[in-house]
Amino acid sequence: MSGRDFLGEFEHIIVLAILRLEDRAYGVTVRQEIEFRTKREVSIGAVYATLDRLESKGYVKSHRGDPTPERGGRSKRFFRVTAKGAAAVNRTQRALQSMTEGLDLIQSHS
Amino acid sequence: MTSAADFVQPPRIATWLVNLFTSSDEESISGDLQEEFSQLEKKSGLAFARRWYWRQTLKTIAHLFGGAFRAAPWSTTATVVGGFLLLQFASRLPDKALSVVTDRYLAYWSNHFSAYMFWATDGMLIAHLIVSMFVGCVVAFAAKGREMVATITLDLVLSAMMGVTYFGWVAEHWPIHMALLWMLLQCSGSFAIVLGGAIVRTRRATAKPRPSCV
Repeated sequence: MSGRDFLGEFEHIIVLAILRLEDRAYGVTVRQEIEFRTKREVSIGAVYATLDRLESKGYVKSHRGDPTPERGGRSKRFFRVTAKGAAAVNRTQRALQSMTEGLDLIQSHS
Repeated sequence: MTSAADFVQPPRIATWLVNLFTSSDEESISGDLQEEFSQLEKKSGLAFARRWYWRQTLKTIAHLFGGAFRAAPWSTTATVVGGFLLLQFASRLPDKALSVVTDRYLAYWSNHFSAYMFWATDGMLIAHLIVSMFVGCVVAFAAKGREMVATITLDLVLSAMMGVTYFGWVAEHWPIHMALLWMLLQCSGSFAIVLGGAIVRTRRATAKPRPSCV
């Protein structure tokens, strides 16, 4: 197993957002889900830059929806997590849990 | 049936800027921005939605610029180096052309000194701008799909060199009005390079229209 098998922080957040949104995951919903849950403003450019990277690694797959008028006639790009992506998120999650095990993070930083 | 004309349109310049950095394959980025703009406009008002759209546009462009450069760093660098060498060669041509014309028609210029002064000052400025724009077009043409990344990178390299030259030599040895004029000339050249890139990018985008449902 190489270091590349772990997800970066923002990659991790995006994959989790796609998993939460299931078949409704596209740029707008992913961005809004992250903003709602992390209270952190993210740009659509940052979301797509990370999604493209995840797709090139084979962690997510995308397909186009139909164009709609409220989008100026442009189509949506829907994303779903692949089996490889799900394995990577599990591995990253386990690594983080293992690293934080036994640490009282709230108390030690208060 | 609802059409795109029924929705409030986001700032055109911001949309144009995003489209300069996205290919037709990345139309979903512009679509996502427009969809969220429509949602925000209904929820929080037009002024808020416009501010949000501009903020997102600038951040998105920064990410697209970085992403496009990282995707092809060597070919972009090669294009920028080629553009830099071309600019070094081509920027001397207007001065050489003026020298040749001056030498050949010396008697004419002696009788029309004001015309000579026009060509030697304003004419040279215009010629330098045309040359810079031409170089921007060539660089953008060579960097297919990354037109703006290549021209802006060339621009950043030239601006860095300009800054070093200005503070290292021009500001110390030239009178302030001449130094500022030199700076203005260099900045307008840089602007012309990016404009050349934008022209080629817009032409390519127009040649391959984005699909529309209206």
